[in-house]
Amino acid sequence: MKKIIYALSAFLFFTACDKDDNTTKVDPVVSVTVTNLPADTIIGITPGVPPFGGMPYGAGKYTFFSLERGVVVPSSDSATNKWDIAFRGTAILTNSGNGGPAAGGAFVYIGLFNDLKTIPSDSTFRTENVPTSYAVPFGSNRGWYVYDGLNNLVTPIPGRVLVIRTASGKFAKVEILNYYKGGVTPAASAPDNVKIRDQRYYTFRYSYQPNGSKSF
Amino acid sequence: MRFSGLIVGLFFCITAVQGQVGKTTRPDTLYGSANEIIVTATRTEKKLGNVAVPVTLISSKQIAQAGSVRLADILQEQTGLFLTAGFGAGVQMQGLNPDYTLILLNGEPLVGRTAGILDLNRITIGNIKQIEIVKGPSSSLYGSEAMAGVINIITTAPKRNEFALSARYGSFNTSDINATYNYSKNRFSYQGFVNNYHTSGFSLRPNSQTSFVTPINRFTQQHQLGYHFSDKTKLSGSLRFNRERITNEIAVENNGVIVNSEGKESNNDANISASLDHRFSSGVKTNAKLYATTFSSEQELATSSGAPYTDYFKQRFLRFESQTDFSIFKNVETSIGAGYLLDRANSTRYDKKESTKENEVGYAFFQSEWKPIEKLVVIGGARYDHNALFAAAFSPKLALKYALANNMNFKASVGRGFKAPDFRQLYLNFTNTAAGGYSVFGSIEAQKIINALQGIGQIASVESDFYNLNALQPEFSTGYHACFDYTEAKKHTFSVGLFYNNINNLIDSRLVAYRTGGAQIFSYLNVKTAYTKGLEFNADYKIGKYYSVTSGYQFLLSGDASELDKIEQGKVFTRDNNGYSKRLSVSDYVGLPNRSKHQLNLKFQYQREQTFATLRALYRSSWYVTDTDGNGLFNTNDAKASGFVQFNATVGFLLAKKFNLQLGCNNILDYKDPINMPNFFGRSGFIAINYSIKQSNEK
Repeated sequence: MKKIIYALSAFLFFTACDKDDNTTKVDPVVSVTVTNLPADTIIGITPGVPPFGGMPYGAGKYTFFSLERGVVVPSSDSATNKWDIAFRGTAILTNSGNGGPAAGGAFVYIGLFNDLKTIPSDSTFRTENVPTSYAVPFGSNRGWYVYDGLNNLVTPIPGRVLVIRTASGKFAKVEILNYYKGGVTPAASAPDNVKIRDQRYYTFRYSYQPNGSKSF
Repeated sequence: MRFSGLIVGLFFCITAVQGQVGKTTRPDTLYGSANEIIVTATRTEKKLGNVAVPVTLISSKQIAQAGSVRLADILQEQTGLFLTAGFGAGVQMQGLNPDYTLILLNGEPLVGRTAGILDLNRITIGNIKQIEIVKGPSSSLYGSEAMAGVINIITTAPKRNEFALSARYGSFNTSDINATYNYSKNRFSYQGFVNNYHTSGFSLRPNSQTSFVTPINRFTQQHQLGYHFSDKTKLSGSLRFNRERITNEIAVENNGVIVNSEGKESNNDANISASLDHRFSSGVKTNAKLYATTFSSEQELATSSGAPYTDYFKQRFLRFESQTDFSIFKNVETSIGAGYLLDRANSTRYDKKESTKENEVGYAFFQSEWKPIEKLVVIGGARYDHNALFAAAFSPKLALKYALANNMNFKASVGRGFKAPDFRQLYLNFTNTAAGGYSVFGSIEAQKIINALQGIGQIASVESDFYNLNALQPEFSTGYHACFDYTEAKKHTFSVGLFYNNINNLIDSRLVAYRTGGAQIFSYLNVKTAYTKGLEFNADYKIGKYYSVTSGYQFLLSGDASELDKIEQGKVFTRDNNGYSKRLSVSDYVGLPNRSKHQLNLKFQYQREQTFATLRALYRSSWYVTDTDGNGLFNTNDAKASGFVQFNATVGFLLAKKFNLQLGCNNILDYKDPINMPNFFGRSGFIAINYSIKQSNEK
């Protein structure tokens, strides 16, 4: 199998951190963009044709990620507090509930990434109770994406921010930007094999607040 | 291009058919149109120029000169009408979907819609006298489906003895043959008409083994009988059968394995009507008619692997109606009427094929036309439809026409239209085992099924829309229209009109529950609103004795007020060039998809006795097709189809006595868009021969 390479690229944003600011000292919160994070990419198609077969499938494994360290965590560490968020197909898991040993969680904020400066104090973080309910609701038009069955494409819904409580109880915000390799959604007219081959590669940006506060 | 095919066709026509078809020469409707008699606008015979609502009249001459053979062919050349693809050719009128236009044949409704669309290619126009198109809500006279408007196809009436043959052959091995026989003697008249249409189909996708327009064979026969008991009483009857056979060989490549399947589709419809007319006095006449029609559709798909797929649908429609027109007071003409209809359907798409779904409607209507002064005509009317299955509908209408000058009119109207929920929206019971196993249930079925599934622990969760599931209500529209028209010396005509349609209670599918395992369940709810508004312009201009130019333009805006509200409240987002979310601004909202803002048509015509030539240009601007940014509505970031121009041309002349020859080429520029318009074929040509013998025995 061709080895899948993912790349991390970081953009540094200095969020209005000016010298005249006399209030509490806040670390500049960095916005990081991750591209091409594979999430159980397709390794085969079941024999036959729909509706009896012809279904693409992956290895069935989550890709674990640490927002604190900005790295992919090996799956051997899945039962530890070393990861904050995991991806498998369109399912996103937090390290919480029956999804992991830590006390993480998440909820979906409707609005703009940069407008979410402070997590509202009355926010409720959901935890995992898989497969009945996910912290980030699973399914088309429920959580972060919409599935266009006609063209067989997954599109992240604009204006959705995943607010994450990390394994260590700190906070991060995540905006999913794209679900396809190279961060580009294939055209509606692209052949099915391209749509299948290129899917399940996440591009997302996130900000992690290391000081434990709910402000970004 | 298959010119060899054309040449073969030429021989075919001349040797095999030996015939031609002469369309009866009719008065030139282009310039004498104000005097043409139409019936659809008021349900009484009226001169076109005297009608207060917007009406387009397509004459048989116009149909013949455009070389059209199916209803869809001629409608696509009309101002403000767009053809839609998918489940056959539908027509979009004033920006409303094909579901909302009522299609009538001699005043009787055609049934058999698939996903709301009545395939206009099913209807031959070989024996058409004229097509009348009434735009704007017309439920005050016609009831359900007349929300965007009404298209009424009027067949020729036998007035003299005549035999006519026409044959046409063209690209893609497409042939169309008509034979008409008219007989009229004393009090009796008969017309027999047969049409056979065949095409081998074509594909726009290179190397595709699948034809996008599939091989089709259609055969239509129609018999019309009339008998005059006296000058005052007439009995007429009509019988029509239409048979359509479609074969479709599909090759699907999956994982390098090619799976072949063979599809067969068979559609049949039959219509029978009997009508009795009686004139009591010069001011009072009455009509009673009985109409029955059936439509059945069967599809079978046999695959080289897996079980065959079959689909069956049958609809039966029966109607009795009576109308009386009288004029008791001076300057007031009134029509009153009432009717009863029974609509029944069986389908494998419902719970089971054997269980018959049924709806009954009783209705009554009246309309009065009042002429208080010579220059002013006021029309008021209303109709009440009582449905067995859902809420009743009340549809009023008010229209006026004011003569500003001898050749100048101002017209305005307001009316209400509705569309009753169809059987699919009430009873559909469909589970797609392929794509994730999602289900769609009609609104009557959904609650029952979900509650039953819940009882056996098969429902994971229900959505808030589940609690909104209720008896479906009809969809309603209110339409406003104002227009100004001007005619100069019966040579030039000009009209400009504004329209606005406000649509409420639109039915749309919504996610109502999740099965255990995550499969989605959808049902139908009255959840949406929409508006369409625009301008329509038409002008005819005659140059000299033989030349004329006809032009038409429609400007159209559409949208959903609730979507606009959400945008204004800052709740809708799209993405910027970096892929980051941003708020959508109102100016980026484009309204409803599949609608072109601009449509323009221009026709140049030369005619001298039996010789004619036409060149028609049709332009439509771009239209949005897919919500690519995932925000659930259409905006400038979404995918659109490009605008394009299509040129069609025909020439015709008298070849020999009683023989007319016609040559035509459609889509001369060979414009294609296989992705967005898979049914829109490239350049195609045809040759047609008409032959007719008339024996004048009128009077």
